[in-house]
Amino acid sequence: MNAIIMLVVVLLPILAGIPIPVLPFKNRKQLMCYVEGVTILTSVLVLVMLLNRPTDSLVLFQFTEEMILEFHLDGLGMVFAGMVAVLWPLAILYSFEYMKHEKHEEVFFMFYTITYGITLGVALSGDIVTMYVFFEMLSLVTLPLIMHTLTREAIHASRTYFYYMIGGAACAFMGMIFVLNYGGSAFVMGGTLDLAKAGENVNLLLVGYVMCFCGFGVKTAMWPCSSWLPKAGVAPTPVTALLHAVAVVKTGAFATMRVTYYTFGTEFLKGTWAQEFLMILIIFTIVYGCSRGVKETHLKRRLAWSTVSNLSYILFGVILMTPAGLVGALSHMIFHAAMKICLFFCAGAVIYKTGRNYVYELDGFGRKMPCVFTCFTLSGLALMGLPGMCGFISKWNLAQAAVESGTVLSYVGIVALLISALLTALYIMPVSVRAFFPGKGFDYEKISDVEDPNWMICVPLVLLVIVIFYFGLHSQPIIDAFAAVASGM
Amino acid sequence: MAFVQNLPFICILLSLFTGPLSSILSGKMTKKLNLVMITAVGIMSAMVLAFTVKSGEAYTYMMGHFPAPWGNEIRVGVLEALLATVFSVIMLLCIVGGSKEREEELESTKQNLYYIMANLLFCSLLALIYTNDIFTAYVFVEINTISACGLIMIRQNGRTIEASMRYMIMSLLGSGLLLLGICFLYDLTGHLLMSNIKEQVQILAATGEYQIPLLVCITLMTVGLAIKSALYPFHTWLPDAYGYSTMSSSAILSSLVSKGYIILLIKIYYRVIGIDVIRASKITNVLFVFGLVGMVMGSVNAIKENNIRRMIAYSSVAQIGYIYMGLGLGSEIGVIASVFHILSHAASKALLFVAASGITRASGKNKDFASLTGAGFRNRLAGIAFTIGSLSMVGFPTFAGFISKFWFAQAAFENANHTKTMLALIVLIISTVLNALYFMKTVIRIYTPAPALAKEKNYQNITVRGQAPKSFAMICFVAMNFMLGMCSDPIMKLIQSGLEMFG
Amino acid sequence: MGIWILLPIILPIVTGMYLLISSFLKHLKSTESELKTADGSLKPVVLLTLIVSVAAAFYASWTGDKSITLFYLMKDIPICFKVDAVAALFVTVVSIVWLLVGFYAFPYMSHEGEEKRYFGFYLVVYGVLMGLNFSGNLVTLYLFYELMTVTSMPMVLHNGSREAIMAALKYLFYSMCGAYMALFGIFVLNKYCDTLAFVAGGSLNTVLAQGNETIILIAVMAMLIGFGVKAGMLPLHAWLPAAHPVAPAPASAVLSSIIVKGGVLAIVRVVYYVVGADVIRGTWVQYAWLILSLLTVFMGSMLAYREPVFKKRLAYSTVSQVSYILFGLAVLTPAGITGALLHVVFHAFIKCTLFLTAGIFIFQCGKSRVDELEGIGKCMPKTLWCYTFAALALIGIPPASGFISKWYLAQGAFDSQIGILGWGGIVVLLLSALLTAGYLLPITMKGFFTEKKTEELEFEKGEPPMAMLMPLMILAFLAMILGVLPSGMIDYAAQIAATIL
Repeated sequence: MNAIIMLVVVLLPILAGIPIPVLPFKNRKQLMCYVEGVTILTSVLVLVMLLNRPTDSLVLFQFTEEMILEFHLDGLGMVFAGMVAVLWPLAILYSFEYMKHEKHEEVFFMFYTITYGITLGVALSGDIVTMYVFFEMLSLVTLPLIMHTLTREAIHASRTYFYYMIGGAACAFMGMIFVLNYGGSAFVMGGTLDLAKAGENVNLLLVGYVMCFCGFGVKTAMWPCSSWLPKAGVAPTPVTALLHAVAVVKTGAFATMRVTYYTFGTEFLKGTWAQEFLMILIIFTIVYGCSRGVKETHLKRRLAWSTVSNLSYILFGVILMTPAGLVGALSHMIFHAAMKICLFFCAGAVIYKTGRNYVYELDGFGRKMPCVFTCFTLSGLALMGLPGMCGFISKWNLAQAAVESGTVLSYVGIVALLISALLTALYIMPVSVRAFFPGKGFDYEKISDVEDPNWMICVPLVLLVIVIFYFGLHSQPIIDAFAAVASGM
Repeated sequence: MAFVQNLPFICILLSLFTGPLSSILSGKMTKKLNLVMITAVGIMSAMVLAFTVKSGEAYTYMMGHFPAPWGNEIRVGVLEALLATVFSVIMLLCIVGGSKEREEELESTKQNLYYIMANLLFCSLLALIYTNDIFTAYVFVEINTISACGLIMIRQNGRTIEASMRYMIMSLLGSGLLLLGICFLYDLTGHLLMSNIKEQVQILAATGEYQIPLLVCITLMTVGLAIKSALYPFHTWLPDAYGYSTMSSSAILSSLVSKGYIILLIKIYYRVIGIDVIRASKITNVLFVFGLVGMVMGSVNAIKENNIRRMIAYSSVAQIGYIYMGLGLGSEIGVIASVFHILSHAASKALLFVAASGITRASGKNKDFASLTGAGFRNRLAGIAFTIGSLSMVGFPTFAGFISKFWFAQAAFENANHTKTMLALIVLIISTVLNALYFMKTVIRIYTPAPALAKEKNYQNITVRGQAPKSFAMICFVAMNFMLGMCSDPIMKLIQSGLEMFG
Repeated sequence: MGIWILLPIILPIVTGMYLLISSFLKHLKSTESELKTADGSLKPVVLLTLIVSVAAAFYASWTGDKSITLFYLMKDIPICFKVDAVAALFVTVVSIVWLLVGFYAFPYMSHEGEEKRYFGFYLVVYGVLMGLNFSGNLVTLYLFYELMTVTSMPMVLHNGSREAIMAALKYLFYSMCGAYMALFGIFVLNKYCDTLAFVAGGSLNTVLAQGNETIILIAVMAMLIGFGVKAGMLPLHAWLPAAHPVAPAPASAVLSSIIVKGGVLAIVRVVYYVVGADVIRGTWVQYAWLILSLLTVFMGSMLAYREPVFKKRLAYSTVSQVSYILFGLAVLTPAGITGALLHVVFHAFIKCTLFLTAGIFIFQCGKSRVDELEGIGKCMPKTLWCYTFAALALIGIPPASGFISKWYLAQGAFDSQIGILGWGGIVVLLLSALLTAGYLLPITMKGFFTEKKTEELEFEKGEPPMAMLMPLMILAFLAMILGVLPSGMIDYAAQIAATIL
């Protein structure tokens, strides 16, 4: 297929999204159809593109001699683009119902759609400079989304968000300079470093790698840069769900994969102090995120801390620096997206319908909102790693990769994963139990206003649960696809 | 000798004479004359640039009929022509952008005084760029100082007078040190023309005589020019000067005046002392350290500010720190990066000042942040321009600041001393974050809608057409920024070839 | 013919889910008064399901070896079921108890309320337990183990009181903790064993394992402690005394007699069918296991002795008794295994009887504390006689069944080469037997022989209805008869022991 489709796929949402505030929509329904139409069209194009993969690169623009903007689709990009393309239309559908109560919808959907294009741009980046440029643009274009509600909290959260993002990007930029000087900028499995050129500067290169990883890792909320994610929970749920469970944070994980496997190269990095240092940070984040989640009583913030922890599962797989590790990371990237979006959507449904934000206000809701809370319980069980659902599969793959590595730190990592699973049970299960079994003598009259939301919210929930079960029981094909990617497709 | 080669001299003369000429004309005429003159100079400089690029070498031009080494000379190369062109464009846009402010803030009798000062300033700037004689450089440095003071002081209120006093004192101190250095140099070498001085210095360096005096010379001249260009810790005059004068003055001062001194410094390093001697004297390390400190402290002070103009002024301190850091890295790439940053900062900073004035206009002329809330919706173009300027400062890709940051990082990287590399990179990161802290905070603030406030204080909305000259200036600056950000390669090449010819 | 394995798993789960959903929908739609009317169709549906499933389970277990692979969860990891001697043993015990307690539960739950929900979960747990027992590999076992926790938790919190919810959550978290510890072991063993399927004697790959003994031993220890949580072994036993008493009596009965055996089954499978006994023989893992189980035996008995609430006393007794079984497994000798497997069966019947009795006391007379039971023998002699037989069996007095199992346990300890721990074990067993007598017999004594006159007694009713008494008597009978005619069972258990050691 012609490489131009890559440009089309990226530009279509951006160009279609920019005019939304000025287009003459007669009513809300027209706006909905337009936005959903653009999104579905883009997703269809993406899927067509994945099926007929264009093999050439597409050079867009040249900043300087060394910095070229180009698109290229390889296996890893396909996985990420595919995930984004499948989840975005679901999220738009959900947000229509949700945003009914919020104001300034046109501006919201404008930025939401543009973000889609830019995320695809990251997925399709052919070299590290392009990825960096789209990375920075992603930070900028998601800023208004967080700020949307314009409360004091939201503004504060968006400021914190942006500072962290800029700091991370600056760090990554420095690491990128290392790459540009000591190797090539393109993404090649196994890395592009010219070790002869590096000579004795191995430690300097490792420092560059750590800077790059930590810089991109800020987007994945790796400790110590985790606090922006729960703060950003103040944004409307479609934003938190899609961006902070899928687009923004997984972009960071995607970038670390690129940096580790396709730029610096695992041969060079394996066994070095850089790997151990980062592994310790990641393992700490896994446990830290979950512990904060247990203590948190605000539902969305609790799920945000859970995301912090789960993202480090993905990073753990990445930092193992083996093909099996990459497979584990990719599987958790996809499966966690499904589980976490479902959880956030459930939380959002509760907030939207009842205005309750805190976990102690949800007693007895299970009987009144059965669809929402059943989906919540099932996704929660999946997140905990119950076999039969996709969370178990990704945990299994990560653990297998860690056992294969056999180092002490990787075993500590497995223990951290399991501790985190237990803590996940601690912060998910009480919510479900109290919702379904509020105790003898609970007065259901108190919550007579609570009821299930309409189909636009429930359908995405059910679809996601089906996906969770499907991948839990029939994961082999997709795992094989990941294995193909990991071996250099 | 082609006619084109006369053009630099004509430029200087033209701007010099337009000054006194303006004093006899009325306000409106002087403005038109001014604009026409700058435009003419700009076009002429562009022609010179084309010429020098084509010929591939620099030439010296005799002033009067006295040959070297007794007469005066100017030297024209790619770098000088480029700088002259860019500076004229920026000057033009600054004057255009600030015209409404001048009409409002200055007394009518002082209007043409303003243009006189501006012309003199412009003339001295051109002279500094082109001159090949060190004493001439000193003379024009003084003219520059006085006209800059005039520009600050022309808006008469207590603050500006105090600011210009402070500026005058600090500047004269700097000039004094510069003069001392020049005297020593004359004593050591017996020449005033730069190329001749260089020959003598090379001989001295080779023989090893007069090492300490030479070092003292270099130090005096460096410190003198550093004071004048607001290197930390000699920056204290800057925030007041830029913060309280009229908008076009701040823009001109921050974009052009301080850069003129830095260019003179580079010239001294390359053409007077010789870059090898400079590197051997390790003064670059000192510049490096002060540059780093300036980068951080400038931003730290900016964060504390509540007045938008002063905040942007402190940002200038930080950016000048960048330039000195680049110089301090000691390599050729470092100097190239610094020169590029001079251009990119000139464009961005002027843009920020113009946009800031647009924003403050839409907030009842108040400069504090509380009043500015929601200004981005009241003056849409200024809001967008301010955002672009901020993003450029932070180093966002596709803007000029990104390219500067890239080249600085590259220069740091190629330094053999790894400590310097790591320090430079780390401080670059910290500085980016600090820049984001105050610039993005402001951007978010101006885009936080506050309709109640606007109604209460009766702030007016300002349309694009309603501030036509300013809109024109902003759009041009934004275009410059994009151009520098996206098509920087040709400019880098120009700078590189210019530097080769510079020495 | 694998369908006979699947039927007892799927049928109860499906029926149970149907009951649960219809109960939920009924709550959604109807008013308070409508809810009170009992559903007449409940009893036949439940009993029919149970009988059919039990019959299928027996058929599957006792007619030749069968296996079935459902599907492949991941590459090389199938969800599969297999019938072998151990599975048959566990299935039989579970089915008998489940059926009998099912009959018992009808009159009992009519006094508790929410029968549909209870029986829904009851059936689902039965199906899951069948799945657990029939598991053919470690991952299938883990799947059903986790499901067992999740589905038995609602039985614990049935009565909805705050205490029950807290106890249920505690149960959940302890079990999850244990399950995750076991999962760690599974991850490690997946690499070092040839297959995770159950092979008698284990399938550790000695070539791969060389040099990595430490991590393998750590993994096995983690699995022992993890699965031991369900079995109430130190150090993670604290959920048991909280959860078992607070559940309704039939639920407590099955929790204490059957569900704890789920943990035992898992340990048997891990030690003897995946890793192999020789891997841990003589290592620190075996010693730690022995010490932990002995400590639990002693501690459980001590705490039972001092506990005034009857059901809680029985719960502590479970803690103690199940660790007898674990001790027998830990000595790694044929006699020990035989004793352990025998005790699995016997303890199930015995403990069930004891809990059913406690339930009868609460149901008929509302008495839950031991000191309130004085003279109860005058009101319900048959009940108390059943209790006494079971108690004697538990203490280990011949010819009751408990004696046989304890004999083999002691024999096993004696045979093994663990030196002083073996002797220590025997001493602890004896001490615990004494304590058992101390906490079980006084109820019999005070129940039958009291100085109070009949009129002073405060018990309202007499013997319970037949539906509750019949199961009780059958179980007590089994507890005794298996002691009198044990040879069939002993041979069966010994055969299993021979294949796996």
